[in-house]
Amino acid sequence: MTADRIRTEGEVEYRFTHPDDFRDHVRDRKGRSPVPKLVTEKEAVSAFVSDGDYIVYDFSSLTRGPQSLIREVIRQRKKDLWIGAEFTLHESPLLVGAGCATRIDVGFLGYGNYIGQAVCDGRVKVYEWTNGGIALRILAGARGVPFLPTRDLLGTDNMKVSAAKAITDPYTGDPICLVPALNPDVAFLHVHQADVFGNARIFGTNLFALEMALASFRVIVSAEEIVETDEFRKDPMRTTVPYFLVDAVVHAPFGAYPGAMPARYEIDLEHVDRLNAIRNDEQMGRYLEENIYSVADHDEFLDRRVGAGRMRELRRRATIIEGYR
Amino acid sequence: MPRAIEFTDTEFMIAQGARLIEDGKTIFVGWGIPQVVAMLAQKLYVPNVTQLFEFGAIGPQSVLPFVRGTMGGPQNTFRSLQWLNMNWAFSYSATGYMDYGMLGAAQVDPYGNINSTHLGGTFSKPGRRFPGSGGGTQVASHCWKTIIVIKHEGRRFVPKVDFLTSPGYLDGPGAREKAGLPRGTGPHRVVTSKALFGFDEATRRMTLLSVLRGLTVEEIVKDMAFRPLLAPEIGEIPPPTDDELRVLREEIDPARFIIRGEKMSATA
Repeated sequence: MTADRIRTEGEVEYRFTHPDDFRDHVRDRKGRSPVPKLVTEKEAVSAFVSDGDYIVYDFSSLTRGPQSLIREVIRQRKKDLWIGAEFTLHESPLLVGAGCATRIDVGFLGYGNYIGQAVCDGRVKVYEWTNGGIALRILAGARGVPFLPTRDLLGTDNMKVSAAKAITDPYTGDPICLVPALNPDVAFLHVHQADVFGNARIFGTNLFALEMALASFRVIVSAEEIVETDEFRKDPMRTTVPYFLVDAVVHAPFGAYPGAMPARYEIDLEHVDRLNAIRNDEQMGRYLEENIYSVADHDEFLDRRVGAGRMRELRRRATIIEGYR
Repeated sequence: MPRAIEFTDTEFMIAQGARLIEDGKTIFVGWGIPQVVAMLAQKLYVPNVTQLFEFGAIGPQSVLPFVRGTMGGPQNTFRSLQWLNMNWAFSYSATGYMDYGMLGAAQVDPYGNINSTHLGGTFSKPGRRFPGSGGGTQVASHCWKTIIVIKHEGRRFVPKVDFLTSPGYLDGPGAREKAGLPRGTGPHRVVTSKALFGFDEATRRMTLLSVLRGLTVEEIVKDMAFRPLLAPEIGEIPPPTDDELRVLREEIDPARFIIRGEKMSATA
C-alpha cells in the first residue's frame, strides 16, 4: 500500500500472521483424519496452550463461556498470555489476577473493580479494538485474508490505541478503516454437544464460534455432553464446528459454571457476586486458592466446591428451553 | 387531583427513555441501563419494536425479571426471531437496518461524543478505567439515530471527553462524513436523570429540549462543565407514571439492583 493512501494509523503492537503462514500450519499441522480427541482439561491445556500464547474464547463467564478451561490455564500457571477480550466478563480479571495474562485486546475489558484497577496500576497492557473490531479481525483470519475494511472506529480514539488504519478507499474515494486479520494461537469453545472427533454444536447465539475455530492455530472444545457422530449427520444445520478444525475435545459437564449454559443450567449468581466483589490481590488470591489451586481438576472443583445439591438446583432453574435442544 | 410521585433519578431516566422508543422500528440495544429501557418500552408502549443485541439476538422478547449483569443469557434471547452471532449482528447496523441505537456513557461532550473507556490520567495510566467500547463504537457509528442514556451528573458532561470511545458529531457539522462514517447518522437524544437533550441541526451541539417537571433550566445546566444550547421553548417532562414504576419495581427489577438511585419527587 502506498504511504499516501494511509490517512491515519495506530502504532501499537498487534498480533498478526501472514495468511500463507497460517495456511502452511493448516496443511502441515492440522489433522484431517477423524481420530478420537477426547482428553481431560489438564491434558488439553498442557498439550495445546503455551506461555506467551494469544487466546480467544466464545461468550463470557456469565453465559456458555469455557470456564473449566480458563480455570485449568490458571491452575497450570501459564504466563505472558495475550487475550482477545471480546465481550469478556470475569475471564480477564481472573487471568490477570493469577499472573497469566499480560496483554489484552479490548473488546469489553471485563467486569468488576479488579481489572480496571489492574489497568490503572499498569499491571496489564491494553489495546482498544472494540467488540466489532475484534470480531472482524477474527473473520479476516477465518477468510484467509490479511485485513478487512469497516466503516467504524473512524473518528475515535480507538484508532490511536489499536493498529487499525484509515486509508482512502480505492472504490469510493472516502476514508475507510482496515483491521488486520487475527489468527490466535488457541481458541476455547464450550458447547452443548460434541462427538469424540470434535464435531461440535452450540444451541443459541454465539460471538464468533466458527470464525474463531477457523482462524486459530489450535482449537479446544469442551462439551456438556458427548454424543455420537450420527447426531450431527441427522441435523447438519445445527453443526457449529466440524471435527477437522478441532484439536482436543474435553467432556466438561458444568463447564460454563458459574455462568449459565442455556437450557442446561442457570447462572450461579451467588458465586458471581463473589467474583464481582474481588477488589484487591488478597481477595483475588483467596478466590484462586479456594476455587482453582486447591482442587486438582474440574471434577474435584464440582464435587468439593460446588456440590451435587447446588448443581441440581441450577439445573432445575434452567426453565427456558424453547429454541434450544 | 395533583399528587406527589416519589421515584429515583434512575427510574425517571429509564421511564423517559422508554417513552422515546418508536413502535415498528428497530433498535440496537447496549449493555446495562439501555436493556432495561428497552424492556420497559416493549412491555408498556412499543410491542412491535425489534430489539437487537450485539451477541446475535434479533427481535428477542426478554423474560422478566432482568438478570443483573447478563447480556447473552437465555432470559434476554427469549423468543427471538433469529439467533446469529456478532459479525452478523453488526451487519444489520452497518447496512442501515437499525433505526436507533441506545448506549450508556461515562462522559459525553457537546457533540455527543461518548467516553466509556477511562477517566483522568492517560490511556496507558488512567485515573479510572471502564470496560471500554464493547460494541458501542459500532452502534454509535452505524445506527441512524443514537440515544445516549446517562446520569445527570455535572462531571459527566464535559467540553472534551477524556477518550473518544464512540463517535458523536466529532468536532462539528460534517465531521462524521469527513471521517468516513456512514452518511446521515449520529446522536439524536441524550436522556438524563433530570432532562432531555437533542442536537442543533446547524451546529450539531447539544441542546436542552425539556426538563423534569418542577426543575428549572438553571438547575439542569448549573453543574454541567459546558453550557448546552437551549431550545426556543423548553418542555416539561412528567415524572414516571404509576404503570412505569409498577413494571420497573415489580416485574423488571424487584431486587432494585438497577433502579435504585437518588430519591426525587414531582407532581403527577
